[in-house]
Amino acid sequence: MDDLLDTAPCGFFSVADDGTVLHANATLRALVGADDLVGRHLDAFLSPGARIFYQTHVFPLLRVEGRADEIYLSLRDRQGGDVPVLLNAVRRARGGRPVSDAVVVPMRRRNQFESELLQARQAAEEANRARARFLSMVSHDLRAPLGAINLASDLLASGAVGPVNDAQRHDLERIREASAYVLGLVADLLNFARVEANRADVRVRPVAVQAVLDRAVDVVEHLAVEARLTLAREGDDAGAAVLADPERLQQVLLNLLTNALKFTPAGGRVTLAAERAGGAVLLHVCDTGPGIPPEAAERIFDPFVQLEQSGGAALREGVGLGLAISRELARAMGGDLTVASVVGAGSTFTVRLPAATLPEEVAA
Amino acid sequence: MTDDILTRNHVTLSGRGTQPMLFAHGFGCDQTMWRFVAPAFEDDYRVILFDYVGSGRSDLRAYDPERYGHLEGYARDVLDICEALDLRDVVFVGHSVSSMVGILAAREAPERFAHLILIGPSPHYLNDPSGYTGGFNRTDLEGLLDLMDKNYIGWANVLAPVIMKNEERPELTGELEASFCSTDPIIARRFAEATFFADNRADLPGVTVPTLVLQCSDDAIAPDTVGQYVHEHIPGSAFRKLAATGHCPHMSHPEETVEVMKAYLAEADVSA
Repeated sequence: MDDLLDTAPCGFFSVADDGTVLHANATLRALVGADDLVGRHLDAFLSPGARIFYQTHVFPLLRVEGRADEIYLSLRDRQGGDVPVLLNAVRRARGGRPVSDAVVVPMRRRNQFESELLQARQAAEEANRARARFLSMVSHDLRAPLGAINLASDLLASGAVGPVNDAQRHDLERIREASAYVLGLVADLLNFARVEANRADVRVRPVAVQAVLDRAVDVVEHLAVEARLTLAREGDDAGAAVLADPERLQQVLLNLLTNALKFTPAGGRVTLAAERAGGAVLLHVCDTGPGIPPEAAERIFDPFVQLEQSGGAALREGVGLGLAISRELARAMGGDLTVASVVGAGSTFTVRLPAATLPEEVAA
Repeated sequence: MTDDILTRNHVTLSGRGTQPMLFAHGFGCDQTMWRFVAPAFEDDYRVILFDYVGSGRSDLRAYDPERYGHLEGYARDVLDICEALDLRDVVFVGHSVSSMVGILAAREAPERFAHLILIGPSPHYLNDPSGYTGGFNRTDLEGLLDLMDKNYIGWANVLAPVIMKNEERPELTGELEASFCSTDPIIARRFAEATFFADNRADLPGVTVPTLVLQCSDDAIAPDTVGQYVHEHIPGSAFRKLAATGHCPHMSHPEETVEVMKAYLAEADVSA
């Protein structure tokens, strides 16, 4: 082996398909504390776990694709200690037979950092799962008594238990409204827990944009009338299609529309528009509401975040999960949910989804 | 139902023969690993390749951690394919962990199988105080899981968009093919645990299907003694030692592997 390769600050070896070492430079020999490696099997300087990983991943990669890049492996030195390395290898014909040439770079400190990062990530994932489990449990536990409250107030209001006067009926109606509201929140919590636990059953297929927007407008139209707002459709969405789960997309759009209708003062305007942008379709929900300060624009997608008015009161009731759920769903469908806003002028929430081509029977 | 299973396991069919030869890949990769061996059988057999759910181009949406937490779940994939194609008289070729998967499948439905060809089988990877030497200690296997975790950090990012199975963006499929050893890190870890912490020693004596054990020389994953153990505990099994070294003779020494398989099948035909 020439001097240059022997003194290079990385290990180098060539290995036959059967694992026999054909060349090894001095740096590698020093790394694993061996006098000579040529003629020995690769397993002589791999840790037991790395032997399996080499046979099940690295060799198949070299054999099928001709190269393996940035593989983390663990060498074993003469004292039985582990030497973490990063390996790059290529397989090519030399001297009439296939040979894999590999360089390994020791990465002791980096390995330490990566182990810490990995542990932190695993801990964070576990914490997330625990949170989702907790939310799911709490929501289920809340649902049962709420059902009982609803049932009992319905029964009382119907007069089945005894005569009910107007004042009592009014109070029973308030009980019913309040419990319906809490049930809505519980449903939100459950939904959120489900998305968080990656159990949202998102099944994408080509969906006609026009039909989805029409349906969403139909559902919320009465809210616009009640709130004395103009609800309008804009843009040319004829024939446009997106890759989405139609039910989930509907859920996202309804969330954005009901938000817009609740936040926008009477006399304002809420528009729903579609726009093609390269390989994607953008669905905009615009309002003429109070707008969102720039520093809060990202925070509103965090779970449990509600913007507060200057007076300190929550801008509206709720636990603030709708946008978090909507963004998770948009992302699960291969898209995203973003917001652009000007304080005092209004906000535009944009759902970006991959454009799709409709199968003929759907388009027809 | 048939189409569902064939899509779910990305089953590919070739060959001009009638007797089915079903190739089951090992842990780590997918059916691509058979590309150096399978074509040699296309003249005489109906060649069937597939990916286990969670590997290769299988439908990841069909992945169920409960089912695939044990090798029985993988054996169910094999039987699902046998049932979907109504396969009989199957020559099952399993590499590494698929040897045990094939044994489990053959124990459940022996009537479907004519032969089991087991390449580098191990019924138990751990050393056992009772005197059985699987080749590994628990800490060795934990070292493997650590390697996988660290390598999959990068690979997972490559795969993430493919999980969507986005038919509208075929270029993503190319990306998966370009890294056929990559898979979802959680699925891979569970497969590794199901594989390397399994103990199928008790399943060997109940195998009634004629079996060939193909043992490599110097196999660090399934050493000679382990291959011998499998041979000794499967009644009437044949044992062939390959000159090929390592754990993947179908990739490193495909000619010898094909030759030994063909010789075994020819002998079996004559004696039958």
